[in-house]
Amino acid sequence: MKNRLIIIPLIFFLLIILTFFYLLIIERNPSEIPSNLINKEAPYFKAESLFKDKEFISSEHFGNEVILVNFFATWCKPCLDEHEFIKGFSNKKKIKIIGINYKDNPKKTIKWLKKLGNPYSNIPLDKNGRIAIEWGVYGIPETYLINSKGFIKYRHVGPITKKIYKKINLLIDEIK
Amino acid sequence: MIKNKIIIIVFSLFFTCFFSYYSYSVEPDEILNNKEQETRARNISKNIRCLVCQNQSIDESNAPLAKDLRILIRDKIKSGKKDEEIYNFLRDRYGDFIFLKPTLSQNTFLLWFLPFIFLAIGLIIIFFNNKKSKN
Repeated sequence: MKNRLIIIPLIFFLLIILTFFYLLIIERNPSEIPSNLINKEAPYFKAESLFKDKEFISSEHFGNEVILVNFFATWCKPCLDEHEFIKGFSNKKKIKIIGINYKDNPKKTIKWLKKLGNPYSNIPLDKNGRIAIEWGVYGIPETYLINSKGFIKYRHVGPITKKIYKKINLLIDEIK
Repeated sequence: MIKNKIIIIVFSLFFTCFFSYYSYSVEPDEILNNKEQETRARNISKNIRCLVCQNQSIDESNAPLAKDLRILIRDKIKSGKKDEEIYNFLRDRYGDFIFLKPTLSQNTFLLWFLPFIFLAIGLIIIFFNNKKSKN
């Protein structure tokens, strides 16, 4: 009986150690918060559009085809780093990309896009950050993949890397 | 004279440290004129996690997102929204993690009750062990 009593806490202790060890070795970012909007309809919003006279109304765009939504700003260095990959989605995958320009100066954005290339089919302006809050954004760049029914299927926080680029490409093929 | 100076320095250091804990990041232009509404906004803000710093409430955080959320909460209060509606709005977008104090739900059931379950198991083991040794 006494031996059994010693074994029980030992098993618990080993289980805790194994759990922590597992969490240490798997690839994860503990500070990354999972999106609460996965498999939910993309939030509705209206906003001024950068290159177009017509106001951007989200419901007119989402729900017809697979769309990538990218929150970006010219003052954000990681946005510059991922720009080549965003262009890759536009050129190679021929996918529609909505670039939500987060708290930025429109003149600077136009200059930035002229210099680096514009992969976005429409650029709604999020002047006060309210659209980002509607989408549960907490740090740009953030990228969302919307399926043809207008539902959010994937969210990536941070710049798109080679690995994430491949992952999103596979997801696009999967949900197309 | 030197003793007095040391006392003053120690006291000012103590008060600086003590009150800095209670420092808040609400800026003057954010504060609502209606005192009751402002108190509600402060109470809600104290329960909402700053998702950038992750270990501070938006009431204490200087992060731009925390400021945006504070303004949003005040706008919602001004437009007549109830506290519950504001909490639900934030939960819908950021999940339960937005609350500094975890809510009681199916997912957090173990987090809340596991210590009590372990305590009960321990007490049962002790109880039966005592009974056996007495016999």
